[in-house]
Amino acid sequence: MDRLIYTAVSGMADSMIRQRAIASNLANAQTIGFRAETFESAPVTIKGQALEARAMVTTGVLGADMSAGAIIETGNPLDVAINGEALLTVQAMDGTEAYTRRGDFSISASGALVNGDGRPVMGSGGPITVPLDTDVSIGPDGSVLVRERENPELPPQAVDKLKLVSPQGSPVAKGTDGLFRVRGGGVLPVDEAAQVQSGALEQSNVNATQILVEMVEAQRLFDMRTKLISTAREIDEGGANLMRI
Amino acid sequence: MPNSALQVARTGLEAQDTRMRVIANNLANVGTTAFKRDRANFATLAYQNLRVAGQQSSSETDYATGLNLGTGVAVQSTSRIATQGTLNNTGNALDLALDGDGYFQVELPGGQTAYTRAGNFTRSAEGELVTVQGYKVMPGITVPEDATAITVAPDGTVSATTAGSGTPTELGQIHIASFANPAGLQAMSDNFLLETGASGAAQLGTAGEAGRGNIRQGMLEASNVNVVEELVDMIECQRAYEINSKMISAVDEMLRNANQTL
Repeated sequence: MDRLIYTAVSGMADSMIRQRAIASNLANAQTIGFRAETFESAPVTIKGQALEARAMVTTGVLGADMSAGAIIETGNPLDVAINGEALLTVQAMDGTEAYTRRGDFSISASGALVNGDGRPVMGSGGPITVPLDTDVSIGPDGSVLVRERENPELPPQAVDKLKLVSPQGSPVAKGTDGLFRVRGGGVLPVDEAAQVQSGALEQSNVNATQILVEMVEAQRLFDMRTKLISTAREIDEGGANLMRI
Repeated sequence: MPNSALQVARTGLEAQDTRMRVIANNLANVGTTAFKRDRANFATLAYQNLRVAGQQSSSETDYATGLNLGTGVAVQSTSRIATQGTLNNTGNALDLALDGDGYFQVELPGGQTAYTRAGNFTRSAEGELVTVQGYKVMPGITVPEDATAITVAPDGTVSATTAGSGTPTELGQIHIASFANPAGLQAMSDNFLLETGASGAAQLGTAGEAGRGNIRQGMLEASNVNVVEELVDMIECQRAYEINSKMISAVDEMLRNANQTL
């Protein structure tokens, strides 16, 4: 059988992987602060004595599309959307720092500030905790303001500040938990100028129209590659028929 | 591998279906006294790292890009949006609304305490202040049989005027419960909420103090569901469902085509 089918099969597998990544982006079109995956297919040429006429294809995830999602007003004082490209710092399962754009915060029974993913939010000196029975709000610079309910006439006091970091210059990669980390380890520097908008949430940056186009593209490409295999069979059958004469 | 795209799209359908259920429940309760709308929170499911960027592709080369594929989405939680509902004047002396944070305390038949903001109370045959279900509002307040007028002050003090007496007598005081994390309260039927480990213990106090709301007599708090907002959410949810189902049919067509062609 001609080697063509192996090339075509690698293309079919690539289309399937691509379709799966598209499906995942699509499924997360309404996940708060979600960053869509970007991917790319590349030819893999086997170096050797043979003619380099055919190349296998391999798909890779290039990283995440870090463009901003739409910001919608929620009116909830504990919701924050980040202006610009700064990232929020949260504590991952293993206790290390990881980054996210997800800013739908709530306060746990022990007073810890956690985001909608249940991850403790980091401040200037570790996870942020607020005194219980207080009204908590978040200032434009990310400071966590607390007003005692007992003394509503007192101005809100800053108890901590969200650790907003700048991803500029350090490539970040999405981990298996969906949180960003610096590629190769390390932490991002604090972005002093970062601004947040409270009472609003940043939506997923998945563009549904673009996704639909990508989906159809992947589907058609798969069909074309399927066709290649059937063509390969026809060629092969033709050759076998010739031999018979 | 071929089925994975189908499975990922399926998680999208399931999540939108759950969200639609939350929206339907909000809309169904648009006329429920003191109902608080829920919001469905989506979260990404775990990622599968099929290949890490920088992993060796041969003894001399590394992969320049990684291959970590998401496995979809799920509704992780629903959060109760506790904004104040509008107060509607009913004129009924035993209708109480909370203007601000806090909950009334109610004793369930088993002796357990439940919390509610629905203050459509009535008087039982024994004269006790009870909910529509007949559950006692705590602390128990008994209204004398010959009471002609009942007043509930903003701080929760209940007094009654009896026939033949000009001066009102104090019957007791309704205390308001507050929680460290009200979003952690577990909702049950009949407008009641139950204390959980996440909500923290109830802290009782006087209405109008320490952030607790004032009691407004003769009023009821309406549900905080905004019909227009829910309808917009409903359409958004429907469209998202449609796109996810398109993905399923696209992958299905791919597989069918492969089956037929090969």
